[in-house]
Amino acid sequence: MIRRAACAAVLLLAAVARAEPPLQPAVEDGLPGRPGGTLRVLIASARETRLIPIFGYARLVAYRPDFTIVPDILLSIDVEADRVYTLHLRQGHKWSDGAPFTSEDFRYWWEDVALNPDLSPAGPPSELLRDGERPRVEILDEETVRYSWPGPMPGFLAMLAGPTPVVIYRPAHYLKPFHAKYADPERLAALVAAQHVRNWAVLHNRLDNPAAETNPDLPTLDPWVLKTRPPAERFEFERNPYYHRVDRAGVPLPYLDRIAALVADAKLIPAKTGAGEADLAARNLRFDNYTVLKAGEALHHYRVRLWQTAYGSQQALYPNLTCSDPAWRALFRDARFRRALSLGIDRHEINKALYFGLAVEGQNTMLPASPLYERGLRTDWAGYDPEAAGALLDAIGLRARSDDGIRLLPDGRRLQIVVEYAGQSGEESDLLELIRDSWRGIGVGLFAKPYQIAVLHNRLFAGETLMTIDRGLENGLATASMSPQALAPLRQEDWQWPRWGQYAETHGISGEAPDLAPARALLDLARGWTDAGSLEERASVWRRMLRIAADEVYTIGLVAGVPQPVVIADRLRNVPDQAVYNFDPGAYFGIYKPDRFWLAPD
Amino acid sequence: MLNYAIRRVLAMIPTLFAISIIVFAIIRLPPGDYLTTAIAELEAQGEGADPQKIAFLRQAYGLDQPAWRQYLDWAGGLLHGDLGYSFAYNLPVGAIIGDRLGLTVLVSAATILFTWAVAFPIGVYTATHRHRIGDYLFNLLGLIGLAVPNFLAALILLYAANAWFGLSIGGLMDDRFVGQDWSLAKLGSVMAHLCVPVIVIGMAGTAGLARRLRANLLDELDKPAVAAARAKGLSPLTVLIKYPLRAALNPFIADLGMLLPQIVSGSAIISVVLSLPTTGPLLLDALRSQDTQLAGSLLMFLAFLTVIGTLLSDLALAVLDPRIRLTGGADR
Amino acid sequence: MSDEPDALPHFVSTEPWLPSEPTAPVRTRSRIPGWWARLRRHRLAVLSGAILLALYLSTLVCEVLAPYAPDSRHSDFIHAPPQAVHLLHAGRVVSPFVYDTDESLEMSTLQRIYTEDRTRPEPLRFFCHGDRYRFWSLIDGDFHLICPAPGGTLFLLGTDRLGRDLLSRLIYGARVSLTIGLLGVALSFTLGIAIGGFAGYYGGWFDFLIQRAIEIIRSFPELPLWLALSAALPVSWSPLLVYFGITMILGLLDWTGHARAVRSKFLALREEDFVRAAMLIGASPARIMVRHMLPNFASHLIASAALAVPGMILGETALSFLGLGLRAPIVSWGVLLNEALNINAVVLYPWLLLPAVPVIVTVLAFNFLGDGLRDAADPNA
Repeated sequence: MIRRAACAAVLLLAAVARAEPPLQPAVEDGLPGRPGGTLRVLIASARETRLIPIFGYARLVAYRPDFTIVPDILLSIDVEADRVYTLHLRQGHKWSDGAPFTSEDFRYWWEDVALNPDLSPAGPPSELLRDGERPRVEILDEETVRYSWPGPMPGFLAMLAGPTPVVIYRPAHYLKPFHAKYADPERLAALVAAQHVRNWAVLHNRLDNPAAETNPDLPTLDPWVLKTRPPAERFEFERNPYYHRVDRAGVPLPYLDRIAALVADAKLIPAKTGAGEADLAARNLRFDNYTVLKAGEALHHYRVRLWQTAYGSQQALYPNLTCSDPAWRALFRDARFRRALSLGIDRHEINKALYFGLAVEGQNTMLPASPLYERGLRTDWAGYDPEAAGALLDAIGLRARSDDGIRLLPDGRRLQIVVEYAGQSGEESDLLELIRDSWRGIGVGLFAKPYQIAVLHNRLFAGETLMTIDRGLENGLATASMSPQALAPLRQEDWQWPRWGQYAETHGISGEAPDLAPARALLDLARGWTDAGSLEERASVWRRMLRIAADEVYTIGLVAGVPQPVVIADRLRNVPDQAVYNFDPGAYFGIYKPDRFWLAPD
Repeated sequence: MLNYAIRRVLAMIPTLFAISIIVFAIIRLPPGDYLTTAIAELEAQGEGADPQKIAFLRQAYGLDQPAWRQYLDWAGGLLHGDLGYSFAYNLPVGAIIGDRLGLTVLVSAATILFTWAVAFPIGVYTATHRHRIGDYLFNLLGLIGLAVPNFLAALILLYAANAWFGLSIGGLMDDRFVGQDWSLAKLGSVMAHLCVPVIVIGMAGTAGLARRLRANLLDELDKPAVAAARAKGLSPLTVLIKYPLRAALNPFIADLGMLLPQIVSGSAIISVVLSLPTTGPLLLDALRSQDTQLAGSLLMFLAFLTVIGTLLSDLALAVLDPRIRLTGGADR
Repeated sequence: MSDEPDALPHFVSTEPWLPSEPTAPVRTRSRIPGWWARLRRHRLAVLSGAILLALYLSTLVCEVLAPYAPDSRHSDFIHAPPQAVHLLHAGRVVSPFVYDTDESLEMSTLQRIYTEDRTRPEPLRFFCHGDRYRFWSLIDGDFHLICPAPGGTLFLLGTDRLGRDLLSRLIYGARVSLTIGLLGVALSFTLGIAIGGFAGYYGGWFDFLIQRAIEIIRSFPELPLWLALSAALPVSWSPLLVYFGITMILGLLDWTGHARAVRSKFLALREEDFVRAAMLIGASPARIMVRHMLPNFASHLIASAALAVPGMILGETALSFLGLGLRAPIVSWGVLLNEALNINAVVLYPWLLLPAVPVIVTVLAFNFLGDGLRDAADPNA
C-alpha cells in the first residue's frame, strides 16, 4: 500500500517534471484532481479513433457548458464588428513534439495548404468565404494572427469552436519536408515512390489528416496524443506534455495519463460496457440499454446516468418538397397537407411505447432549455387531432377513398407515402410502424422501405425519394449567436429540400431555386443573421425563422429530449451527473473538459 | 502421379484468374463507390465531410478511372505481391491483413484440431456400438450441432461465459493484453477466449465428420476381411484398427483439404458476432464500404486457400486411391 | 455327334417357342415401390415427414392459425412475457384460459413489470372472429382458430418491443422461411441436374469447362458472394421481389454439389447397355437423360434435395442477421432472430429467442427425412 503510494508519487512527480505547459497557460477552475491512470473506452471501429480529438476538445476557442465561446488554445481574441478577428497565441506554447507553436503554423496553412492548388484544388474551405470572398490573413508577429473580411462574419468563432472545426493551423515544421515548395526534390520524390502514391500532394494529405488519427508522428495540440501505429485493435493515447491547460494549483493537465481505446463490434459494446469493460461510455449505448446497464452497476463498479440529448427531434419526417413526382410534389408543397400529416401522428403513444414517456413531444424545433424557446413553436400543429387532420385533407380535395380506407390522389393512385430510410438500429422502423398505424386513421398510407445509405442519399438528391426519416435539428439548444443555417434551404443534405439546397451550395449551377415564399423568406433571414449588427437583431432573426418553420411544418418532428445513457466508472471523478450529450456544439463530452476527469485510486 | 499433380497445378492458374475477375466485378456491383458510402455515413452521423476534399480524394484513390483500369492496377499489383491500398484504413492492405492473419490461422487451426479430436472418437464409438444409448445420444448432439443457427449459439455462449466465468465479452483475449507482448497470462487468456468460437464453429463440422466416419466405418466393418480377422481370433481393437479404420480414413482425409477454407470463410459470421480480430469482420466491413482493394485482396486470398485446399485433398486422394489418378478425376 | 467333345449340358427346352403364350410370371406383388416400403420402416423419417407436412400446410392457412395479425400492436403490453394457459381456476376445471396481466413501469430501471392477476381468468375463444386480415393478400377475413377473450390478451410466446405477439409473427414467418428453402432448392436442383447432366452425358470439352466453372464457384467463400449479390439487387424492387431475389441467389450458389453428383453418375451410366441401346435406337439426348438415366437415382436426388433445404433456411437466417436478407416489415424467422440478437433479449426478454426453435425443428426434420430417404433409396450404400 505504501509502496503503491510511493510509486504513484514518483510517477506524478515525473509527469509533472516532464510536462511543459506554455508560459501563459490556461488555468482551469473547478475541483482539482490527481494525475495518473488509464481511461478505458470502447470504439466500434478503428476509424472511431477520430473521436478522441473530439473528446479532448482542444480548440482555438471553445464552447463552455452554457454555450458561450471563450478562448482556449488562444490566449485571447479581439473581435471588431464581427469583421476583424485578432488571435493572440500563448507565449511558449509548444506542439506535442516540443517544437514551438507560432503564427508560422497559421501562415503555413493559409498560404501553403489552403491556397496551394495541388493540395486544395477547390481553394480554401468554403466556410471561410463570405459571399465568395476570401478573408485577408495577416501575420502580425510571432504570436498574433489577424483574419478580416469586408463584412460581418459572425459564424467564425463557431467554426473554430466546433467539434470538427475548420483547422486554420498546421505543424509547419513537420509538414514542410513533404511540401514541394520546401522539400528537397529528390528526397520528396523518393518518399513519394516509397509510399506508392501518385504525387507529393497525396502524400502530404495522407500524413496531414488531423481529424483521422492515423499518423502517430503528426504533432498535435490535443491533450492526448496517439501512440499506436495503425492497424491495431487497441489504440493508446498518451498525455501531451506540452498541453496548454493547468489546474488551479498549477498541476499540468490532463489528469489522465492515458486513454486506451479498444475496438469492438458495435453490437457488443452495450454488453461489454455492462460487464464493466469501459470506464466511460455513451456513444454506442442506446436508450433501451439502460435496464441492462443499470443491473450491472453494483457488480461492476460503475454508475449509469441519463444525460439530455439536444436534437430538435430525435427523429423527424422529411417530406421532399423537391421530389420529381408531380402529384406528390404538389401535395408536399401545400402547407395544409404537411400540417395534416403532423396532426395525424399520435406522439404520446410513441413517447410511451418507445421512450417510457420521458421524451418531449412536439415539433422539430428548439428545446425548452434554449433561450429561443417558445411553447407555441413546439406545440403548434403537433397535437394528435385526427379530425382536424381529416378536415384539412378533405379541404385539399383528397376525399375519395379506396376500399381499404386509404384516400386517393387526384390521379387515382393510393395516397400511400413510401418512406425510405437507412438506419440499422431499428429505431426508425419502430417509429414508422407507429406512425403508419396512426396515419391509417386519417386515411394516409405509409410504406417503409430500407435502403443502403449511399443509395438513399443519391435518391434524395435526385428527387426520387418522397419522404425520409432522419435526425431532427442537430442543435435544439441554440442561442442567438449560433448560426440558423439549418433552418434555411442552404444544404443539399437537408432532406426536405435537397434540390433547393443544392442550388444554394453550387451557387445556381445545379438544383432548383426555391419558389415558395416562406422558404425564400428563410433564405433572406439567414443572410440577415450574418449581416445583423447586434445580438438582439440576431435573436429576432432567429425567432422569425423559427416561427416560419413552425407554421410551415417543413419537417415533421416527433419527440425530442430522449435521454442518453452514460456509463461512468465509480473511480472516474469530475464527470457531471446531469449534462447535455450533443455533437455540435458539445463535442459529446468535450465541453465538460475531459482533461479534468481523473481516476481515483482503488 | 507427377503428371496428375502437374496437370492439377496448371489447372489452378486459369481458375484463379477467372476468380479474380469475378471478385472484382462483384465488389463493384453495388452502386456507388467507397467515397459515396463514406461520405453518406459521415453525413448520417451529423459529421459532415469536407466537400472540397471529395474530388481530390476521388482522384487520389484512382476512383475516377475506368473499371478495367482499376482492375489491372490491382491485379498487376497482386502478381508482384503488392496487395493494394485500403481507402478506409489509409494503409497498405498487407499491413492490415498481416496483423489479422495470424489470429485467423490460430482460430482455424484450433477449430480443426477440435473437430478432428472430437469427431474421430465419436465416429468410431458410434460405429462400433450401434443402437446403444451412446450412439443415440451422440447422434442427437451432432444433429443439434447441425441444426442450431451458429451465430445464435455463439451469442448465447458469449453471455453465458461472461456471466458464469467472468470471461470478457468478445475478442480473443482480455482487453488488457491486446497489443501487448506475448506472455503466459496472455496465452491463458487467449485459450480461454478460444473456447466459444471453436465450439461454435466446430459444432457443425464435427457432427458431419463424425457421421461420415461412422457411415464409412460401417461399410468397412461389413466386409468379409473383417469377418475373417475376427474369425482368426484377433482382439476387437486390432480388428478395428488393422483394416477398416485405415480404409475408412480415405474419405476422411479427402475432406481435410476442404476443411481449412470452409472454416476460414464459414467462421466469418461467427467472428463478426463475437467481435474476433480475424479476417471475417475485416472482409465484411470492406465489402460494405466498397474498399475495393482490401476486399479484393482478401477474397483472392480466401479463394487461393480454397483452391489449394482442393488441390491438396485431390492429391491426397490420388495418393491413397490409385483409381483416382488412373482415371484422372475425383469421383466424389 | 459322337466325334464332338463332351458338349455342355443344355438347359434350353427343345419345345417350340410360341410368342402368343405369355411365359413370364405375372407380377402379383403390390405396386408399392420398394423404397417407400423401406422408408415406412424408418420411423424417425416418417415422423419428420409428418411434422414437415404439418408445417407446410400451416403456411397455407397461417392467417387463420395465428391469434393476431403479424403487425398488430399492443402499446400496453410491450415486452410482455409468455402467458401460460391454465385449465384449473380456484380448484375447478374450466375451459382453457389465461390470466389478465397488469403492467407497471419501474422508473428507476426503466423496466416494465408484468404481474398476473389471478382473480381474473380470461377464457379463450375458438373458431372466432379476431384481427382482420387479407387472406393471401386477396380475400378479407377475420376468422381465427383461437382468439383471446374480448378485451383480453393471448400472448403464448410473449411480445416484442412494439407489443406484437411473437407466436403470430412466428406463424407468418414460417410462410416466408419455409418457402425460401423450397424455392431455392428447386432452382439449385434444376440447374444442377441440367448442367451436371449435360456435362456427364457429353463429356469432353464441355465437361472440362463445366468442371472448371464448378471449381471456381466452389472456391468462392459464401459470405462475400451473398453480401455482394444482395447489395446489388435493384433498389427499386418491392420487398417481395427482394425475397425472390434472395432465394434465387441462394439457389444459384448451391447447384454445384448436385451437378457433381449427377455428373459422376451420368459418367458411369453412360457406359451402360441400356443407354447404348437407347442411343442406337435414335432417342434424343434429352429423352435419354430424363427417361432412362435420371430415374436410376431419382431417390438419391430427392434425398440430397431434402438435405439441402436446411442449408437454405439457415442461410436465410444468416443473411437476415447480417442485415442483407429480408428486413422489416417482412416477417421471417431470420428477421425475428435478428431482432432478438442483442443483450437486451438474452438477459431481459429471453422469449424473443424462441424463433430459433422452429428453425432447429425444421432443420432436424429435413435431416432425418433426408437420411431416411437416402437409406430407403439404396439400402446397400
